[in-house]
Amino acid sequence: MDPLLTFIVILIGFYGLATSTNIIKSVFCVTIIESGVILLFLNMGNLDGGRIPVDIIPDTLIADPLPQALMITTIVIGSTVTSLSLMLCIKVFHHFGSVEWVDVLGMERGR
Amino acid sequence: MAFFSVLLIIIPVFTALVIYLYKHSAVKYLTFIAQLAMTILAVLYYREFSDQWASTLIVFGDWDLRIGISLINDEISMSFIFLTLFSFWMVLIYTFDTRQSNRTFLFFLMFLQGVFLGLLQTYDLFNMFVFLELTTILVTILIAFKKSGDSFRAAVYYILLNASGVLVFLIGVIIMYNVFGTINVGVIGEAIDSVGEATSVRFAYVLMMAGIAVKSALFPVFSWLPKAHGVAQSAISALLSGLIVKGGLYMFIRINQMFSGANLESGEFFFYVGAATAVVGVLFAVSQKDIKQILAYHTVSQIGIVMMGLSSPDFDTFYGGLLHIFNHALFKSLLFLGAGVIIKAYRTKYVSDMRGVFKTMPAVSIFMIVGMLSITGAPLFNGFISKTIIKYSIEDSTLKSWILFGVNIGTATSFIKMSQIFFGPRRMTLRLYAPFDRIALMGFAFACVILGNFYIPISDGFFGVELSYISVFNFDAFFDYFVALAIGFLIYYFIIKKDYRPIRMIREYKPSFQSANFVFIMFVVVMSVYFVLIP
Amino acid sequence: MILKSSSSRIVISVIKHIVLIGMLGFLFYVFFGAYENLEALYNTFGKDYFSRYAEAETGSKNLVTSILLDYRLFDSLFEAGILLIAVSGVIWISRHEIEEKNAQFMIDKFKTPDLFVTFSRLVYPLMLAFGFYVIINGHLSPGGGFQGGAIVATAILILYYIDAEKDTNINLIVTVEKYIYIAILLLATASYFTRGAFFTNVFPLESSADAKSIYLVVLNVLIGFKVALGLWAIFTAFLKEGR
Repeated sequence: MDPLLTFIVILIGFYGLATSTNIIKSVFCVTIIESGVILLFLNMGNLDGGRIPVDIIPDTLIADPLPQALMITTIVIGSTVTSLSLMLCIKVFHHFGSVEWVDVLGMERGR
Repeated sequence: MAFFSVLLIIIPVFTALVIYLYKHSAVKYLTFIAQLAMTILAVLYYREFSDQWASTLIVFGDWDLRIGISLINDEISMSFIFLTLFSFWMVLIYTFDTRQSNRTFLFFLMFLQGVFLGLLQTYDLFNMFVFLELTTILVTILIAFKKSGDSFRAAVYYILLNASGVLVFLIGVIIMYNVFGTINVGVIGEAIDSVGEATSVRFAYVLMMAGIAVKSALFPVFSWLPKAHGVAQSAISALLSGLIVKGGLYMFIRINQMFSGANLESGEFFFYVGAATAVVGVLFAVSQKDIKQILAYHTVSQIGIVMMGLSSPDFDTFYGGLLHIFNHALFKSLLFLGAGVIIKAYRTKYVSDMRGVFKTMPAVSIFMIVGMLSITGAPLFNGFISKTIIKYSIEDSTLKSWILFGVNIGTATSFIKMSQIFFGPRRMTLRLYAPFDRIALMGFAFACVILGNFYIPISDGFFGVELSYISVFNFDAFFDYFVALAIGFLIYYFIIKKDYRPIRMIREYKPSFQSANFVFIMFVVVMSVYFVLIP
Repeated sequence: MILKSSSSRIVISVIKHIVLIGMLGFLFYVFFGAYENLEALYNTFGKDYFSRYAEAETGSKNLVTSILLDYRLFDSLFEAGILLIAVSGVIWISRHEIEEKNAQFMIDKFKTPDLFVTFSRLVYPLMLAFGFYVIINGHLSPGGGFQGGAIVATAILILYYIDAEKDTNINLIVTVEKYIYIAILLLATASYFTRGAFFTNVFPLESSADAKSIYLVVLNVLIGFKVALGLWAIFTAFLKEGR
């Protein structure tokens, strides 16, 4: 059941991406999708409910360590994407005076 | 010898770090040394393994294939590696004596090369994700490198759209892991025919393809490409349009190979996606006035033509698409670099303000004309070969042939428009003596001509594909080309030049970020209906 | 363009939202089908392999660390690389070279509350110690270089609450970070000369768990420092932008 709930988190992120008019909100929507994906991985790695994969006792059920290891990578990647896009937001604000998509994309330099 | 594939990834990364740390102007010669070393390694590697690709498999740590990460090469990845090395050679030469070639730029460029070579060779789904995300971040930084308002805007648009696309790819990966217990591409490919009918496998295919579609700018989700490739510096635009966007198409080939046992019958669907990409790209391209925007929209349309070939399960058509990837990389890089030289001299981006380029810069103009003849598919130039292969293989269907012909007419129209820059009197421009960009242009132009004339031995030697059924000195080929050119000229003279309102409306249409995501969700829904619900 | 009245615009936006929610609901339905299907197909090959062999093969009691630092070390290398790239990218983008139209610089108007400063002083050494604990014991207990590095970075960031005027030499941080990354790359490739295979433990497969854990601790410490320095550099770049 848990994977279904986490999939809803991902869908909420996409709903936000398709409706939010502000760049910073869009950045947070990508973060929400990323959190949803992380939760989905962790839940999918533990469908039959086991112990943490540390110091295991033989012949007991454990949670799958691979999705957990992969998610550490994804968290680091996600944090870099967030930091880079927030820095770009600051720069966009300095150049256009706004972080609304309409103001930013509507302005065209030159002709 | 098998470990050369690792060196091809490690050497550029290491060089990048040394460039960043060692603060001396002579350090930029180091890039050429590294590049030379990598070229020699790649040639030796190819000579060693050219007839036994299975032994290029290298599993890190000597673990079980299903557990560890592995690298593998075959004809396709090897040809991509040579293309990568050639493109980076030319871009490094092009930027050699300009202000651009400072240390930070070379650092990002060399790191990007290492990452891209890793993406080409990896045999593991999650490793693919890591490399895809790394290319996304590096490309974002390179787009924003100019630090103008336009480039920041394009970069933030690019990173948000692509990051969410790649995360969708990742959802597909976890489903595959739960079904197969491994994320090795080869192992999944062997095991997939037993469960190919399962809903979860089909949904994973949909999600992965959606992520790849964003990365390779297919029809509904291409809106980031013209923004990003239009505003970056010319050398970077050439690299992005010529090479990096092909990373997405390469992933498309690999994932489709992996799912080939599942009988998904994706050929027809992706053919029409490709056709829509080609038509829409051309429509936007003919309406633009900015020279780099024209070229960027043509990248979209040429990707569509590539997809029309690659989607086919039939090998000949697939091969036409594959060849068009290489041809497009060569002539589009040539055009972008040439446009960069002209923009620098004329200090304007608008086609209507550039006149008399031929008299001002004859050498650059000749190279540009080679590029234009190639992209419009003139016989004796490389674009002709791959377009003809695709044309022959879809001859049975009238609709498909007409789509391809229409795209050719559109391409001809917009390059007739662009060729107006050559006419007119000589213009006094800033005299920039820059021999190195001429060398880079010459390299790409020679590659275009050589591939257009000696395609039979090259194709036979590299892929073992017999192409002698394509003949250049063929009346039909010349006739078709000139008909397309003539119609293109008429359309240009009577419709485009008048700048009617619909054309202005197409030019001024700017898809917002929300609608780009809206169509992305719609694309995923359409794909799930086609691949999951209907069967 | 035809000027649309505000009411018709509202109708269009409502229709758009309904279509969007419908599409997302459809995707949920498809995922539901895939999920039910998945429970029947669930393949535990990877899980079984790790629970049976991982501890003996890599010498790490924490299986997540065994994957990060041994089975999939290649991923971790580029994971550290992605942070390195982001640090250089953020610093490059934040550097002011051309004049910007709307450049406004905010001044710290709000003084940090005294209670918060005192509490930060109390917590700072504890957090630092906890971070190092997590890094060093990454192969025995939950944790590792990446997690511990993030904790250490957070502890360093608390310093800015204590002393808002604190000045950091960002170039030094970035240079040290690059050297550490080179050390990680060299350590990871060293196994080719001792074991004949890239990106795995330096010590041979049959050596004892103690010997293997030396390698794990060294690599965890290097990665921990690299992550801490990288996050610190990113935060400093943002802070300079705000001043």
